[in-house]
Amino acid sequence: MFADNWKISLRQIRRLFIMDIFGMSSLMIPGILSSMSGADGIFCLLLGMAGGVVLLYLMGVNLKHIKTDYYSYMKETAGQLLGDIFMVFYFLYFVTLSGYVLYHLTTLVLTWLLPEGSWLVVSLLLLLLGMYGSIRGIEGRARVYEIVFWFLGIPLLVMLFFAMSDVNTAYFTPIAASSLPAFFRGSVAVLVFLLPLSALMFLKPFCRKPEKMLSCGRMAMAAVIFLNAVIYLILLGVFGKNTMGILNRPVITLMGMVNLPGEFFTRQDVLMTAVWFFALFALLNTGIFQGTLILKDLCQMPGNRLGLWITAVIIFAIGKGFFEHGFLTEVFEIYQVFVALPGMFLILLVLLFLHWARAGRKAQKGVSG
Amino acid sequence: MSIQISSDLQENIRNFEELFSDCEDIKKRKIKVGEHLDQDCYIAYIEVTLSSVDFKDSAVGKLLGKLRTLPEQDLTEYVKNNVMDISDSQPFGTLEDAAVGMLTGDVLFFLDGYNKALKIPDKGYPSRGVYETESEKVIRGSNEGFSESIKLNTALIRKRLRSPHVKVKESFAGRRTNTNVDLVYLKDLIHPEMLAEIEKRLGEFEIDGALDSGIIEQLTEKRKYSPFPQFQTTQRPDRAAMAILEGRIVLLSDNSPVALILPATYNTFIQTSDDYYSRWEIASFTRLLRYLASFLAMVFPGLYLAITNFHTQLLPTDLLLSLAAARQGVPFPAMVEVILMEIAFELLREAGVRLPGANGNTIGIVGGLIIGQAAVDANIVSPIVVIVVALTALCSFAVPNEEFATAFRILKFMFIFLCGTLGFFGFLTGLLVVLIHLSHLESFGIPYLAPFVGADLNGYQDERDTFLRLPLNYLKKRPVYTREGARTRLKLNQEKK
Repeated sequence: MFADNWKISLRQIRRLFIMDIFGMSSLMIPGILSSMSGADGIFCLLLGMAGGVVLLYLMGVNLKHIKTDYYSYMKETAGQLLGDIFMVFYFLYFVTLSGYVLYHLTTLVLTWLLPEGSWLVVSLLLLLLGMYGSIRGIEGRARVYEIVFWFLGIPLLVMLFFAMSDVNTAYFTPIAASSLPAFFRGSVAVLVFLLPLSALMFLKPFCRKPEKMLSCGRMAMAAVIFLNAVIYLILLGVFGKNTMGILNRPVITLMGMVNLPGEFFTRQDVLMTAVWFFALFALLNTGIFQGTLILKDLCQMPGNRLGLWITAVIIFAIGKGFFEHGFLTEVFEIYQVFVALPGMFLILLVLLFLHWARAGRKAQKGVSG
Repeated sequence: MSIQISSDLQENIRNFEELFSDCEDIKKRKIKVGEHLDQDCYIAYIEVTLSSVDFKDSAVGKLLGKLRTLPEQDLTEYVKNNVMDISDSQPFGTLEDAAVGMLTGDVLFFLDGYNKALKIPDKGYPSRGVYETESEKVIRGSNEGFSESIKLNTALIRKRLRSPHVKVKESFAGRRTNTNVDLVYLKDLIHPEMLAEIEKRLGEFEIDGALDSGIIEQLTEKRKYSPFPQFQTTQRPDRAAMAILEGRIVLLSDNSPVALILPATYNTFIQTSDDYYSRWEIASFTRLLRYLASFLAMVFPGLYLAITNFHTQLLPTDLLLSLAAARQGVPFPAMVEVILMEIAFELLREAGVRLPGANGNTIGIVGGLIIGQAAVDANIVSPIVVIVVALTALCSFAVPNEEFATAFRILKFMFIFLCGTLGFFGFLTGLLVVLIHLSHLESFGIPYLAPFVGADLNGYQDERDTFLRLPLNYLKKRPVYTREGARTRLKLNQEKK
């Protein structure tokens, strides 16, 4: 009737993507940037965002040509085989990302909330929750984050505000001291964390106003980069680049150090973990949802249930792999930088090129006919 | 197979008495009418539904009086032509329909030579009349409450909504109870699909007896395993009228003082009638309190367990020491302690509800003061747990709708278990489960969490009446339940100009 399930509003898309890309980026980026480029990390964020703008531009141009859904567009433009290869690429990206997120989320829980907990129990619980969240379509998922957005956002902003009092601006210098390769590596790292935005390509059939969908992606990216910049500056000012580089998740450490007026709660890190818990869960959920959807399209499954279970099992196996074998996280990071990132750009460029070529051929035929 | 009413009165009497044999409460009288008292008629009614004191002045009494003044040959023609003058009278062609008509509390009238049975209304079944509501108390506003009579209840709504657009659609539920079920709505405001949907759902079951609206509610709910009600209930005619003005549909069931309102959302359960009768500042403040109460009623004992068992670093040392001192000597783990107290409280509540008024109050005092104090003195529970349980109970009482509050009372035990075993992670997990469940839940196509979600469906206007109730002159549009094009609720005169 009114709640047209499988259709989401622009606000829901915006909030969903903010949650999706904020979690991992704010946890990881400060540590990566501080060790690579120190105070210049803030410029890495800006350059990374510029890369994100290019990615969104390519997505936008392609989105205009999508009539029904992304897979149909890929098949129509690049043929069945190439379309399937692209879908497999996206499937691999989303399930490996989800596995990585599951690993990080479980580690976050075990580090900050339940130190004596079992990895298996916690990760299985989270995975089952992720499946439950995905089972009834995208709208149910989007509603969760639409609701929790300000409940998490306001405490985070308040904490960041109070953390500013501990900032030592001397740590903001020296500027332009990092080497160019390190600076670019930092920017690429930032761009890698923006890649989940590519899920936008699959959302056209689910959006109430698809023509404005891309602006949601842009706003989500801008909001996340802004938040990350603020967090980075505060962390840099509080810890300095050397300490920040060795901290595991400096932003949560910071939350444990902020003194709120009144001093009722002595440490807020446990409470503030909720922000990253929900944000990482959002990304895990996105991975499960997208993986299921892609698998359903690729294998032409009649319903979602089987695809959901298969995706979940793969994600769990990947997460478990990361937990058991530390080197796999490094492999994943290499995959992200050297395969996933160029792959995303390449697919969009190839599709665009093929589309233009097809359009050109059609136009020529029209003229000659 | 249905039995047609015949022109032969003897045959009708035979059939009727066979149908209602061994029914001593049904009075059947054969009466002579006509100016020479030469023609027979037959009336039947349930003993208490016909006024015996003022029989002459009753509709059926007057009809019989008139029939005694007319020539015998004119009686049938007179009845045929004039009986519709009696309000709500109705002719039936079959004996079964006539019987159902009589069982609604009216008098049945047969005349020799007339092949119809007439249903003539009289005082009907006994009912309580209009009483003050026992739940949903308000500080400001009407105190009238629904009663068990559906006719009275529809009239109480009509009294408030004097518009020809208010429609009352009648149907029946219960194979053996034939309970009247009325759908009351404003025709120009509702989404027709919503009406079609509830009518479809009402037609999807056949049950022996629908003795209360609660039975209809459960049989027409879509998500049967959800602890959250998908119909709003009310005993207040003004609340029902208010809902109808928002384009919602009110379902009334005979013999039930509880009306069902559809669709229902989290927000509508938190709203009360006097939110709109009081000034916006106090209405908003109490609204916020109720939202907080609904949340704490579910999570407070769980949060207490999570913080004291797993994350003591959150609390200042002084508080921590006093908590530890309070627990000294208590032999049970904190989780068992909380569960014991919660179960004790639920028992007290159940006992208080079942006992008659004065005794119920006594149970509250005995339970709250004496047992609580004794349990603390005996070191069975710590004082802090008594405070936690009492505060949780207060929070659940602050939720205006009993059925809605019950959902939080049940979920509270899930949170106690999750937080007691997994700490703050359990709390977050529980919160996610509830949030995901609520975000999947819909009531007649409306998201349960509307307008916090999907507010774009009505241009984000509905958000003005959620945590805060903005001044009335800002609430110009009706909520999303109303059909598009009919959402203007308020026009200010200066705007008109």
